[in-house]
Amino acid sequence: MSDRILRLQHVEVRVPDLELCTAYYTEVVGLVETAHEEGRVFLKCWDEHEHHSVVLRQAPTYGLDHMSFKVAEREDLDYYTERIENTGITVKRHARGELGPGWGEAIRFEAPSGHLVELVYGMEKVGNMLPLTNPPPRPAGLVGIAPPRLDHIFIMAEDVDGATAFFRDVLEFRLTEQIMANDGHQLATWLERSHTPHDIAIVTGPNGALHHFAFWLDDWNGVREAADLLAYNGVTIDVAPTRHGVTRGYTVYFFDPVGNRNEVFTGGYWVDPDFEPITWTEEEMGRAMFYYAGQVNERFFTVHS
Amino acid sequence: MGILRLAHVDVRTPDLELSTAYYTEVLGLQLAGRGPAGEDTVYLKCWDEEDHHSVRLRYDPRTGLDLFSFRVEKEDDLAELEIAVQKYGCQVQRISKGEAVGQGESIRFGIPSGQTMELVWDLEKTGNLLGKLNPAPVPPPGLPGIAPPRLDHMLINAEEVGESAAFFSKVLGFRMTEQVLDANGHQMGVWLERSHSPHDIAIVNGPNGALHHFAFWLDDWDQVRKAADILAYNGVQIDQGPTRHGVTRGNTIYFFDPLGIRNEVFTGGYRADPDFPAITWTEDQFGRGLFYYENVISQRFLSFHT
Repeated sequence: MSDRILRLQHVEVRVPDLELCTAYYTEVVGLVETAHEEGRVFLKCWDEHEHHSVVLRQAPTYGLDHMSFKVAEREDLDYYTERIENTGITVKRHARGELGPGWGEAIRFEAPSGHLVELVYGMEKVGNMLPLTNPPPRPAGLVGIAPPRLDHIFIMAEDVDGATAFFRDVLEFRLTEQIMANDGHQLATWLERSHTPHDIAIVTGPNGALHHFAFWLDDWNGVREAADLLAYNGVTIDVAPTRHGVTRGYTVYFFDPVGNRNEVFTGGYWVDPDFEPITWTEEEMGRAMFYYAGQVNERFFTVHS
Repeated sequence: MGILRLAHVDVRTPDLELSTAYYTEVLGLQLAGRGPAGEDTVYLKCWDEEDHHSVRLRYDPRTGLDLFSFRVEKEDDLAELEIAVQKYGCQVQRISKGEAVGQGESIRFGIPSGQTMELVWDLEKTGNLLGKLNPAPVPPPGLPGIAPPRLDHMLINAEEVGESAAFFSKVLGFRMTEQVLDANGHQMGVWLERSHSPHDIAIVNGPNGALHHFAFWLDDWDQVRKAADILAYNGVQIDQGPTRHGVTRGNTIYFFDPLGIRNEVFTGGYRADPDFPAITWTEDQFGRGLFYYENVISQRFLSFHT
C-alpha cells in the first residue's frame, strides 16, 4: 500500500519583478536555477533530486499561485481525485510535462480556503548536486544560505477549522498542534504527512493568502549564519533568530524583494501517525509562536502575500 | 504502511545496577520502570518519547543483544508481515498482550544473520516529559547527562550482508539508502530506512548475531560536542569522534557503555523519499564513508561488537 502524500514538493509564487527575485532566490537564498521559460523561473535546493521546488512567475501582484505535494504512487492521484470529488470539489488532471518543464503527472483543485493545491507524481529527477558514488557530504561552491531543501508552507484561511478539516479528512494530513481560541475554534493548526511537526500550517487570515514558505537548515548555527547573510544583503528581517513554542523549531522570518515571506527552519521532533496533538491556549499564543519573546509582532499576523 | 521506525532495543548486561546508573546518569535516559519479580530488567526511555520504553536492560552473565523491535504503522501490518516472514522461512513466535512489559501483541523471529527481531504496533503510551497543553519546547532544566530526545537507529553485523539486506528490503519493505561494495561487487555494508531518514538499521560485515551499536538522536552538532564533554568528564571510553560520517552525512560520537556495548549519538542526515536513488561507496573510499574527516578504517570500529 502506498505512503500517499509524502511531503511538500514545490511552491509557485507570483512576483512583479522576475529578474530581481531570481537574483535574490539564487544569490541570497542560494537556490539553483534548473530552467526558465517566458515569465517563469524554476529553482531547486541543492540536496533535492526533483526538477524544482520553487517556481517564480512574473505577475502584476505578489502571492501564492499554488502549492504542490508529492505523492508516492501514480494511483494516489486517482485515490485522491475520488476523495476530493466526493466533497463536491472539481479536480483537474494534467499529463506529465503539461504544466511545465520537469513536471510530473498532477491533479489540481481549490481547497475550501481558496488556495490552489496540486498533488504530483513522477517529477523529473535531475539529481542533487552530489554524485551517487562516494559523495562528499555537501557540494562545493554553494552561494548564499543554500538550504538543502524546501520544508513547509504556512497559509491563511478565514475558517481555520474548515480548512483544517479538509486537509485532515480528505487529504489525510495529521494534526500535530493547534492554537485554540477561548471560544473553542481553531486560531491556527499544524499538519503533517512526513512525520515532522508540519508540512503545512494554517492561521486565521484572508482566504487564498500565503503567510510564508520555509526552507530546512541543518541546525541552529545555520540559522544564525542565515541571519548574517540576510542582514548583510539588506534583506528585511521580519523576526530575528528565535525559537518557536509550536514545533519547537528554530527560525528566521524575512521577506523576498517583492514581499513574499520566507523562513529558514530547523529542529522539531518525530511524529508517529497516532501522535496525540498538542494544544496551545489563546493566552499562551505569544509563547506558542515565539517562545523567547512571548509575544507576536503585529506585522507577523497582518502582513501576508 | 508497514514498518514505521525503531521502537526499542533489548540488551543484556552482567551488571544491571552499573548499566542502569550509566544509562540514566551519563546518557540521561528516564527510568521507565523495573520488570516484574524474577525478570531482573530495567526499562528506560528518552525524554521526548511517548511510548513506555526504548531500551531494556536485562541481567545476564553475558553482554549482548536480546532483540530489537520495530513499530509498524497499522495494527493490520503485523499480520501481513507475519505471513511474509513465514513465507521466507522464519519461525515466528507470537507474543500475546500482557507477556511483554509496556506493549501489546508482537511477533518475534530470527533474521538470516541470527539476531532476534520483533515487530509491534501496540505500544503503551506514557507520554513525553512535556505534555500536550502549552508545552515548553525543552524538557525541564537540569535533566542529568546527555538526555537525547529519542532513539534513532541501530547497526548489526552479518556474515552475509547481501542476504541480510535482501531480507530487510524484499520481505520487510526497507529501502536501501547507501551501500559499500567491495572490489568484487559484494555488499560490505548497507544502510536501510523506513522513516525517510538515512537509516533505521544498518548491516555491516561481521559475525552473525552481533550488535555493533545503537544510536540516539541529538538535535545538532553543538549537542554532539556537549555530549563528548559529558562522556569525557564521566570517564566513558570514546571509540570515535566527534566527527562526521560520509555515509548518512551524520555527525557522530561512538562510545562504550560500562559493559562494552557500543552506543552512538547522531544528528544530521537527509530526507529519503521512497524513490531515493541509493548511494554507493567503493571499498577504496570506505574510510571516508565511515569517518569523513579521518579517512581511516579503525580496526576497533570494524572488529569490536557485542
